[in-house]
Amino acid sequence: MLHYCLKRLATAFLVALFVSILSFFLIRMSGDVAIALAGEGARLEDIEAVRTSHGLDRPLIVQYLDWLGRAATGDFGNSLYFKSPVMELIADKIGNTVILSLAALLFALALGIPLGVLSAVYQGGLIDRLALGIAVVGQALPNFFFALILVMFFAVSLRWVPVSGSETWLHFVLPSIVLGYYITPPFMRIVRAGMVDALEMDFVRTARAKGLSKAKVVLKHALANALVPVVALSGVQLGHLLGGSIVIETIFALDGLGYLAYQSITHKDFPVTQVILLLLAITYVLLTLIADLINAWIDPRIRVS
Amino acid sequence: MTSAFLSPSASSAGAFINKVLSHRGLTLGLILLGIIVFMAVFAPLLVPHDPYDQDLARRMLPPFWNPRANPAHLLGTDNLGRDYLSRMIYGARISLLIGFSVMVISGLVGTGLGLLAGYFGGRVDLFITFIVTTRLAIPVVLVALAVVAFIGNSLLIVILVLGLLKWDRIAVVMRAATQQVRSLDYVAAAEAAGASVPRIILREVLPNVFPQLVVVATVEAASAILLEAALSFLGLGVQPPLPSWGLMISEAKTMMFFAFWTIALPGSMLALLVFAINLVGDGLRDLIVPKGRG
Amino acid sequence: MPFRKVLVQTCAFALLASSMVAIAPANAGQKDDTIRFAYEQVPESVDPFFNNVRVGVIMGQLVWDTLIYRDPNTNEYKGQLAKEWKWADDTTLDLTLREGIKFHNGEEFDADDVVYTLNFVAKPDNKVVTQTNVHWIAGAEKLGKYQVRVKLKQPFPAAIEYLAGPVVIHPNEYYAKVGPQGMNQKPVGTGPYRVVEQVQGKSIKLVANPDYPKELHKSVPKIKNLEIRFLPDRQTQNAEIMAENLDFIMGVQADQALALKSVPHLQSVEGETMRIVFLNLNTREDSPFPAMRDIRVRKAIAHAMPKVQMVRQLLGEKARLINVVCFPSQFGCDDTGAPIYAYDPNKARDLLKEAGFGPNNKLEFDIVSYRERDQTEAMIGALRAVGITASLKFMQYAAIREQIRANKVAVSHQTWGSFSVNDASASTPNFFKFGADDMARDPEIRDILEKADTSVDPAARKEAYRKALTLIQERVLAVPLYSLTTQYVANKALRFNTYPDEIPRFWEMSWK
Repeated sequence: MLHYCLKRLATAFLVALFVSILSFFLIRMSGDVAIALAGEGARLEDIEAVRTSHGLDRPLIVQYLDWLGRAATGDFGNSLYFKSPVMELIADKIGNTVILSLAALLFALALGIPLGVLSAVYQGGLIDRLALGIAVVGQALPNFFFALILVMFFAVSLRWVPVSGSETWLHFVLPSIVLGYYITPPFMRIVRAGMVDALEMDFVRTARAKGLSKAKVVLKHALANALVPVVALSGVQLGHLLGGSIVIETIFALDGLGYLAYQSITHKDFPVTQVILLLLAITYVLLTLIADLINAWIDPRIRVS
Repeated sequence: MTSAFLSPSASSAGAFINKVLSHRGLTLGLILLGIIVFMAVFAPLLVPHDPYDQDLARRMLPPFWNPRANPAHLLGTDNLGRDYLSRMIYGARISLLIGFSVMVISGLVGTGLGLLAGYFGGRVDLFITFIVTTRLAIPVVLVALAVVAFIGNSLLIVILVLGLLKWDRIAVVMRAATQQVRSLDYVAAAEAAGASVPRIILREVLPNVFPQLVVVATVEAASAILLEAALSFLGLGVQPPLPSWGLMISEAKTMMFFAFWTIALPGSMLALLVFAINLVGDGLRDLIVPKGRG
Repeated sequence: MPFRKVLVQTCAFALLASSMVAIAPANAGQKDDTIRFAYEQVPESVDPFFNNVRVGVIMGQLVWDTLIYRDPNTNEYKGQLAKEWKWADDTTLDLTLREGIKFHNGEEFDADDVVYTLNFVAKPDNKVVTQTNVHWIAGAEKLGKYQVRVKLKQPFPAAIEYLAGPVVIHPNEYYAKVGPQGMNQKPVGTGPYRVVEQVQGKSIKLVANPDYPKELHKSVPKIKNLEIRFLPDRQTQNAEIMAENLDFIMGVQADQALALKSVPHLQSVEGETMRIVFLNLNTREDSPFPAMRDIRVRKAIAHAMPKVQMVRQLLGEKARLINVVCFPSQFGCDDTGAPIYAYDPNKARDLLKEAGFGPNNKLEFDIVSYRERDQTEAMIGALRAVGITASLKFMQYAAIREQIRANKVAVSHQTWGSFSVNDASASTPNFFKFGADDMARDPEIRDILEKADTSVDPAARKEAYRKALTLIQERVLAVPLYSLTTQYVANKALRFNTYPDEIPRFWEMSWK
């Protein structure tokens, strides 16, 4: 187990390093940082002065190592647009994104698991078809379109929830539903498949033969089995949610990391964009790592293969 | 995963068509997709107006079910007086072009990596798996937005960016499929007969993993279409005045409370197209990929 | 659906547990005596010298004061932080300051504040964003505790207008200590509102300054609280004001204002603005778009614009057509000599043909734009009608400026509000005196404008502006289109007036 952990950690570290290289070069090659840094009203001489004083005339690889060195000490530079330290900005916003992602995941689990179970138990029945319908719609509906419709009905017409912002928990309801709905189908499918398999397994049959009630069998034995892969899927989906909330956060003006990313992208704020990208990548890697470790711990066979 | 891999070529073409037709979801998906493709291909013949022609005197006309409607514009006009029906029909072109091009680019990249990793295994596999893991760690929407915003938005850039980002799932599926085919007898036989590696991969492996490629690439096409719509919605996708459905929603959203159809029409078309592609993908999976995988 | 409800409640409960700042949901502002105002663009900084968006000018008037005050109804100059002022000579302005005024942080207002602020902003190294606002200041010196002398670099009669507009006064001790960055984080001025809370890029909360001096021309706000939210998305603004979470929005498109007016609790008022709209063409000698160097192409673009129809269909009733690059009411904005290029698509097509463009050799370029995207699209449609393929690049203003400076822009859909300064020196020179936004770089025009800006004799100034404006049009360096109107949409309970300088006087507003 320890060996497996170390190996996975090393991979995670390498991936993070590789992403940092990629994002650095990608962003640097798509725009002139000196012009952005010199700011409004800068003359050509000013721009060249900034280029030299910030060491932007050095080879990219040297600049990258320099950036990496300072990043290792926690110095990620300042935002070009807001002028404040990047980490300060991110620290301000990350909480909202975490809340949103967790709420969306919760919504997806709360909708996906029961529907998955029910559609496995009543295969081919009404609930099974309903669940399929929900999955199909969820995968086809553009999430920004869905968001607009929800805003129209629940925020403007019915006024149950606010339209935009992030001040209260009510502000998170619509965005979590939109984001959560989109990731519900995979949960539903994986639970359904697991349940179908489990219901055919020997010990479940034995249990039923022993006269245990159907509900008890389903909940106690089959579900426990079917839920194992859900853990791993949750980790992966949470990673996607953190990175995928940019459109939804923008629509709901929800003051999180995605909204900050959108703002910094439109303002050509290179340092912020770069750090958010790296942060999301690391989070994703760590979440999948944790999911894998939990899986390995539950199911020892994985460790061997 | 014990069942042997079956390729559709095992059955005759006629039998396969019968199988397709007996699969209701697949049939429905193919019909819907067919209609949209037809719309896109024959758009110039179908549209009542040039989708780019603006007439400021005829702005924001309502669609036919409204008493104020103008019979010359069945679905009304947009905020610049452009015919909405014509723009909707031309919109199919943009979405399909995006879906198809991204599918081809990501299909090439993903298949290439998957085949290499699956066939050679060992260090090659380790290296490619690492690349795939890295790619998975990069948030697609954010990178696509950033690249488009920093370099500039255009149809070509959107296609390239999405194509170069969306190959991960294809690579994963191709790798697994190749690993299975690799262990089969006829590959070993070909190797023993001294066939060259590229020949084995192209002649023996690729045809056998192709059905699975089609399935996963279909799903990717659908997701690329949704991504383009989202980028265009944020104003960082294709350039106006191209009639992209996502862009149309973006342009109409300020009036959505008063003219709901202006977002409902392109939104529904997007959903319908993605729905059709997903049905086709799911149907193909049911028919050609063994149960238990997917 | 009870199932859904349970789910929502479950989620909601989890959220409640994790969010510590749960407060009651927002509602119409009258209840808690708060005007909720939303604006589209996020200012880079709240310090009025370090942003160039309208909301920055608005903030300047809310939180700070100027030395001189221009009455928006009569356009008459009155004393504000300065009691009186006198020109000692063409380049020397002596001001007597008002006594007994305090900044929000308790710092006393006196000559030191004025001297420090003016010297600070006048120094090019301090990089004030809009140099036009401050470049005329050579420096300031203290003559007494309440006596200040402002030295000008050269004669600049419009100085009073600037001192009444964008040049606000900062507290010297505080500003020296915290600088523009600290001022942005915690703004301190003498104005009718104090900033109490700010979340960068998101919102600013202000509260009435109860000690605002009576002798100044603004007043203690009638409505105690003001909340500014930055909502880049128009659709979100509409939704919020329909749901009664906002009380006041501005810059709404005519169509939307009309539609919103039909909502029972909303009112909409059209106001004239000084903001002009024109196409800026890259005619620089090193222009990467050689076609733009051809005057026939530029004339074709000018003839292709259906100005009258655009005004009638896309703008409000109070919009004006303009023939030169300035707002008609500005001093010196005289279009009598300028040639007018009327809408004439056939002529445009002919000109393009002459220039060697046709169906087989289409003229193609991008238009950059940062607001009124529908108008840019209408322009693109009009260009298309004469055979020009233009594509839209919609960006933030800062990004556009960067691209213009890098000489990467062919055509820019420019809008300019002159910082509400009622003098042509605030508009035309910004685009033709080799500044960051200059896409023409015509030395002759630069020199004439220089003369216009610095002459003391009003007649000579006027004549120089006229000459420059005429030349710009003869050479078609820009295509002037129209002035914008702004639609204000507000909750019916709010009473307010509108002014052409687009500065909502929140301190005057009251509940009905």
